[in-house]
Amino acid sequence: MALTFSSNFARSTTIKLLGEKFAAINLTYNSNQIRERHVLNPKPRLRNPTWFTKQMKVKRDELITRENEAFIQQAVQDKYSNVTPKAEIATNVEWSPKYQRTGVIARKIGVYPLWLKTGEKIQTTLLEVLDNHVVKHYLPEEYDPPRKRPKLIVNKKHCLILGAGAGDPTLFTREYCGLFNESGIIPKKILARFFISPEATLPLGTLITAKHFQVGNTVDVRGKTIDRGFQGVMKRHGFKGMPASHGVTKTHRRPGNIGGGGEKGRVWPGTKLPGHMGNTWRIAKGLKILRMNTKYNVMWVSGQAIPGETNSICYVFDTNLPLRKPEKPVPFPTYFETGSEEVPEDIYDESIHRFDDPSLIFKEQK
Amino acid sequence: MLCFRKIPITTKGIRLYTTVVKEQIVASSTSRNNLRKDVLNHRHVYPEFLPDPKIEFRNRLREKLERNDMLSRRTHVNIPEFYVGSILAVESSDPHSPGKPHRFVGICIQRKHCGLRAQFILRNTIDQQGIEILYEMYDPSILKVEVLKLEKRLDDELLYLRDALPEYCTFDTNMEPEILPEGSPVSINDIKVKLKPKPWLERWERKNLKGLQDLELPERFYKKAEKLATPWEKYDLMKEYMRTIPEEEQLEIFNEIDSRLEKLQVQSKKMKKRVFVKPTKLA
Repeated sequence: MALTFSSNFARSTTIKLLGEKFAAINLTYNSNQIRERHVLNPKPRLRNPTWFTKQMKVKRDELITRENEAFIQQAVQDKYSNVTPKAEIATNVEWSPKYQRTGVIARKIGVYPLWLKTGEKIQTTLLEVLDNHVVKHYLPEEYDPPRKRPKLIVNKKHCLILGAGAGDPTLFTREYCGLFNESGIIPKKILARFFISPEATLPLGTLITAKHFQVGNTVDVRGKTIDRGFQGVMKRHGFKGMPASHGVTKTHRRPGNIGGGGEKGRVWPGTKLPGHMGNTWRIAKGLKILRMNTKYNVMWVSGQAIPGETNSICYVFDTNLPLRKPEKPVPFPTYFETGSEEVPEDIYDESIHRFDDPSLIFKEQK
Repeated sequence: MLCFRKIPITTKGIRLYTTVVKEQIVASSTSRNNLRKDVLNHRHVYPEFLPDPKIEFRNRLREKLERNDMLSRRTHVNIPEFYVGSILAVESSDPHSPGKPHRFVGICIQRKHCGLRAQFILRNTIDQQGIEILYEMYDPSILKVEVLKLEKRLDDELLYLRDALPEYCTFDTNMEPEILPEGSPVSINDIKVKLKPKPWLERWERKNLKGLQDLELPERFYKKAEKLATPWEKYDLMKEYMRTIPEEEQLEIFNEIDSRLEKLQVQSKKMKKRVFVKPTKLA
């Protein structure tokens, strides 16, 4: 006791001395002078989201016997074999067009044609909805956007983290596996973040299937475009190039003139030039769901220009185009099985000719 | 490039069975081999069921769904076995002539693409005018596909008929179907086609075509063709592998759809018996 008392006494004396010193300094210090550069809107600090941790462990030769390996696998299986959602889905909220539902993680699996009832052929892209589970749920205060502006919460939506593609937990890092502790699901390879209205909240561990969407509605698809590397101006921006003959030498695929002279004698910012093409996030908007297979969780979506290669991951969500938002109620907050109704395996849009229907015959209109 | 893929039967497929116990092999090897041959015969009859071998476009689930759709379309229209060089009659409905099915008779000069995008081109000369129609095989507006003459030609593509004398691709529109006894092999028509003098649509002398008569070109054309030829490509195993679906996978695919295909065949035979049209007088 005595020791602590003496140390406290010593500290108080030093603080007193410092205060006297500062008082002396303040006499000479001009408080109006600004030494630092003043910035009105400081540049946002780049920060990773909380779930953005290192995913894969460094592979090492761990000396585990075969029996132990089998034991680990068994333990993993036991832990994750029967995981149920943490709570029941709230069914009391009625859908309203202003509510924002969650999206899903999907895989682009190919392109093939469908025929309309008018006989017209259209191209469709097949999107396989993966085993989406709710991993985390953030309130607007909890959720820290990567580029945060101080004292200003712009985004007042809740945030839902979905995971898809079950992985081997022994290959992931400890921190990454920790993300899934709360929901109890097996660690997933792919994570995605979707903003939702507070009403569209889903309990952790809920499975989201393709039936979350409805045939005939419109969706947006976000994906990473095919990486084409460093490309010339003809491929990157669709320039025409120059003639192949008639005295043209060495400038068949070059851009030609890139600017004027005089006062504007420089390359203007934004000039289309050769450079890296692809590998950027793009959103294909306003795609209609034309067909759905509920057994394999596959959606046929109009168009063939969805960003990304075949077998690449994309994110599908309700469209934000104002005129194409759904008017009729959609499964809210997501589709849940009531058990009474039977969902057919193949659901087609009205305009599409089913493959198991007889051939088209056009009748005379009178 | 070509829809009809010639895949040399290698020991690859046989390797599948080496893991089975030896006794079993002895007992059922012959019957099994026969079954395998039957299944693999499908690749000539139904080439569009094999997916695009380009690896960046492949996905098993997509291919399966596509095959299912193809089969369910085939339950409503009988698409018989035919090859490039066979003479077909296709009946289709046209939105511009409602109520009247449109019938076209011609020789198949090309089959291309696979899956639901499978296409074939029919060519005929009508009123001294060469006519070609490209049909989508799984287009729901196709009502009937009839093979009038089932045969093959010496080449995998007959696009040179566009530059040939018109008599080589003129076929009677009221042609009667030639009915062959069941199980008879498909004959190869070794007719040699005479081309019109140049100009042509393509440089046919460079295509290594067997169904053409002497082109009567100056020596320099043949020399150039020889210079540009790539006769070593057929020995390029890697290229062959990239261009084709491996035999094991073909077996897997056709085993999956074999029962449904058989059902369709039985169905089409029944349909054939029921429909009997009295032959009409040719014009």
